[in-house]
Amino acid sequence: MNSKPNLASVIRSEWIKFRTVRSSVTGVVLTFVLTVGLGALVTSTIRSHWGERSALRRAIFDPVSTSLSGTLFAQFAIGVIGVLFISSEYSSGSIRTSFAAVPRRLRLVAAKCVVLSIVVIIVAELASFITFILGQSIYSGVVPTASLANAGVFRSVLFAGLYLTMLSLIGLGLGLILRQSAASISVFTSLLLIVPIITLLLPQSWQNTMDRYEPSQLGQAMMSPTPAAFSFSAWIALLVLALYTAAIVGAGSVMLTRRDH
Amino acid sequence: MISVQHLTKRFHSTLAVNDLSFDVRPGVVTGFLGPNGSGKSTTMRLILGLDRATSGHASVNGKRYQELDEPLREVGALLDAKAVHPGRSARQHLRALAASNRIPFSRVDDVLETTGITSVAEKKVGTFSMGMSQRLGIAAALLGDPGILLFDEPVNGLDPEGIRWIREFFHALAKEGRTVFVSSHLMSEMALTAEQIIVIGRGRLITQGSVDELTAGAKGEVFVRARDSTALEAALTSEGATYRAEGPGFIVESLDTEALGELALRAGVALSTLTPQRASLEEVFMELTSDDVEYSANRHAGDS
Repeated sequence: MNSKPNLASVIRSEWIKFRTVRSSVTGVVLTFVLTVGLGALVTSTIRSHWGERSALRRAIFDPVSTSLSGTLFAQFAIGVIGVLFISSEYSSGSIRTSFAAVPRRLRLVAAKCVVLSIVVIIVAELASFITFILGQSIYSGVVPTASLANAGVFRSVLFAGLYLTMLSLIGLGLGLILRQSAASISVFTSLLLIVPIITLLLPQSWQNTMDRYEPSQLGQAMMSPTPAAFSFSAWIALLVLALYTAAIVGAGSVMLTRRDH
Repeated sequence: MISVQHLTKRFHSTLAVNDLSFDVRPGVVTGFLGPNGSGKSTTMRLILGLDRATSGHASVNGKRYQELDEPLREVGALLDAKAVHPGRSARQHLRALAASNRIPFSRVDDVLETTGITSVAEKKVGTFSMGMSQRLGIAAALLGDPGILLFDEPVNGLDPEGIRWIREFFHALAKEGRTVFVSSHLMSEMALTAEQIIVIGRGRLITQGSVDELTAGAKGEVFVRARDSTALEAALTSEGATYRAEGPGFIVESLDTEALGELALRAGVALSTLTPQRASLEEVFMELTSDDVEYSANRHAGDS
């Protein structure tokens, strides 16, 4: 055994940990079911009520982001997967066993990030493309549809999966910082649901500049073929969300290396 | 070999470990003894790099634990048997640990067998009794076939059969040349398990040495007996010895065995028994730590 140990062995270990607890398996299945199932529900509802829509609402209708609306529900499941991947180690105390096995704690975090991103990106991209195709076929014949070949459509569907992937990493980062499942999930949910409500209390001019920084608004920008008013372009939104993710995971990692366990 | 040098750990205003220095050598079972809250667990966490020392340092095989690339191959530790994800099976728990240190999965089967939990290997750890959890913790410690083993209160929750098993097991590990470091707050248990003892109280080293060294000389009393009890007592009185009757003989406080033998020879009394009285390890321990126990009854130190 002369060759240097590397990140790969820790990734292998984290992969075993990930797939051998029920919560992560359930979370992954739930993410898929929510994205595709609720996507189908929303698109069917739109189809059956299409005739009641005004001309204006028909004109601004976006068949892409509406078919991806299941992600709005799946994002909570995905955040919980990220949180629990680390917080369950704190609640059970097994984090000490993990650190005793991998004393280089950043290596442990890196391995967790790799495993989580790979699993989530596969499931989320699969779910996004399936829900998009399913949605378009539900719309077909009644509601205008989009094709992956249209400008910005492929990117929108692809970014929907990336949005979910980064949210799961944000969940992991919050778990690293807070070390408690309930607290981390509350903060995660607040970022997506409560922050937009708080900005509603701000003056309109502030809202116009602040709203676009909210994670959920970034998600909307990423999933739309054409950006809405006061919104970032999809690529800038991706970048901003990536910065949030890096900041939260980074802060959690720094705290991890400084703390006792 | 574990080496602890001037190790100090402060939690806010509490000094959990205070300038502690000791070495733990291979080949023997070394007991780490102290009342609850005396800093044993903190010291073990410091050795394993889980807590950061305020000052001083601990090393295993001459290196800081954090510098070990695949630590499970050098050091195995059982700190808290219940610190395992309750939803994972015992086998998968061990496999995840093995993978992180590139230990072949065949070792997982080996240690499950060694600790006698093969039959429950597929069960979720959350359903385990304390005794089974302890065995799983020991299995995890053995996984990398390490030369150094640390066990924090390993007999807690074990049934008498399990305690006997673990005691023999520790001896066997030490006999193979490993360093075996076992903490306990129970002196009676350590007296049976360990050959070397390190006693701490309130985070400070109180004493260390072999069990024999610690118990010998602690009292300095000698039990002496002769068939002619009256003649013996007369001789003791004439010598001005301090003694008291004890069953068929006497406990002498002021003379050692050699002086008593000479005294008997001069008095012409044939002795049938001449035995130095050893304090039990329990008594030595109680005496050594009495201050600290009083202290910890009033205050909590950073130990659990």
